[in-house]
Amino acid sequence: MPSWAPPVIAYSAQGLEFTLIISVITVAAGVVVGVLLGSLLTLPVAIVRVPSRIYVEVWRGLPIIITLFFVFFTLPAINLRLSAFAAACIGLSLWASANVAEIVRGAVQSIPGGQFQASAAMGFNWAQTMTYVILPQSVRRMLPPLVSLLANLIQSTSLAAVIGAFELLQAARRSIERLTVDTGNSEAIPILAAVLIVYFILCFPLAQASRRLEASLAV
Amino acid sequence: MNYQFQPGFILEKLPELAVGLKFTLIVSAIGIAGALAIGILAAACRSERLPLLDGLVKAYVELFRNTPLLVQIFFLYFALPEVGLKFEAFTVAWLALVLWGGAYQAENFRAGFEAVARGYREAARALGMGRALTLSAVVLPIGLRIALPSLTNICISILKNSSYMVAISFQELTDTAVNIVSLSFRVFEMFLVIGIMYLGIAWLLGAGMGVLERRLALPGTR
Repeated sequence: MPSWAPPVIAYSAQGLEFTLIISVITVAAGVVVGVLLGSLLTLPVAIVRVPSRIYVEVWRGLPIIITLFFVFFTLPAINLRLSAFAAACIGLSLWASANVAEIVRGAVQSIPGGQFQASAAMGFNWAQTMTYVILPQSVRRMLPPLVSLLANLIQSTSLAAVIGAFELLQAARRSIERLTVDTGNSEAIPILAAVLIVYFILCFPLAQASRRLEASLAV
Repeated sequence: MNYQFQPGFILEKLPELAVGLKFTLIVSAIGIAGALAIGILAAACRSERLPLLDGLVKAYVELFRNTPLLVQIFFLYFALPEVGLKFEAFTVAWLALVLWGGAYQAENFRAGFEAVARGYREAARALGMGRALTLSAVVLPIGLRIALPSLTNICISILKNSSYMVAISFQELTDTAVNIVSLSFRVFEMFLVIGIMYLGIAWLLGAGMGVLERRLALPGTR
């Protein structure tokens, strides 16, 4: 192993740790907000459905990078200081929750109407119907697109580097800059190739799992 | 919160944004067209199970689909010059979108081609049509129609992802707006206007493809 490699690997491992932390935070926030919003989207009440629809259309429709810049620049403009790390988590969560909401809506709407009527006949209110009857059944339909969204999310965390947050790609970029200054050789090819391989190792099994789930859960 | 929204600032910066928008549209158009072309060719290699090419195409598709576009852009822009392949930002911008989109469109076309009923292929072969003719005159026209909704999604993604080029300072719409914001701190004005632009163009693209889908719909499918 060339002498420049061990420190770069150690530094990038820290970056990878942040990639995974950002992913976990975003998944947690995205699923919680997304399931709630997705359920609201199936309501016939316009007062809750329309704002949820607007939220979903905006944060799904905008390029993620614009959402990240928006969060990163906006909050300081209204005097809220925020680290690039926090801005990345918030921006990615807005995007992820909107996508989860759309997946949940699709899955909930695929549940036959009889299930809703039966729940109503049992005297369940809307929240009980969703929690005990509809959502557990729609998990089957949600799982393949959610797993594929997770792979997409891990890839999208690399965008945090653009607003200066520290994660895998940012660690690689700083290593390249450092090596260029120190030694004159950037070693960009092996470093970026290694970064590609790490993302591939994270995402390829998820993509395969999503494909297999879809095949095995197909009705 | 004491932020004064200044609509006049948007008008003032509109000419500058229009230049950025132009580059976004150019790069996206090349990206969309190139990705469709690669997609058809790659899917043809796979559906015909051409030896060697089949495996190469599969590797290409999995590699580009399972790694972040931003890292691919960095590789093209920062790593390839090391071996003497120096591209300017504009070239990297469209090339990255073509390669990334091509992998996704290849998968979409492949799924579309596979969904074409086996009987059509068999009928074409029974009529004495060769493999190339069967593919171009039977499988492609039907498979294309089946694949159209997912092809549309990726076309819109290519447009949205042209914003990644801000990372290599290519002066498209996002880069232009970010530069204006970092000089003026007019955050809300700039993001409102480019947000509307991106959502508007994506909507137009989706609506246009929707019209195409209805025009091309196979009899009995709608």
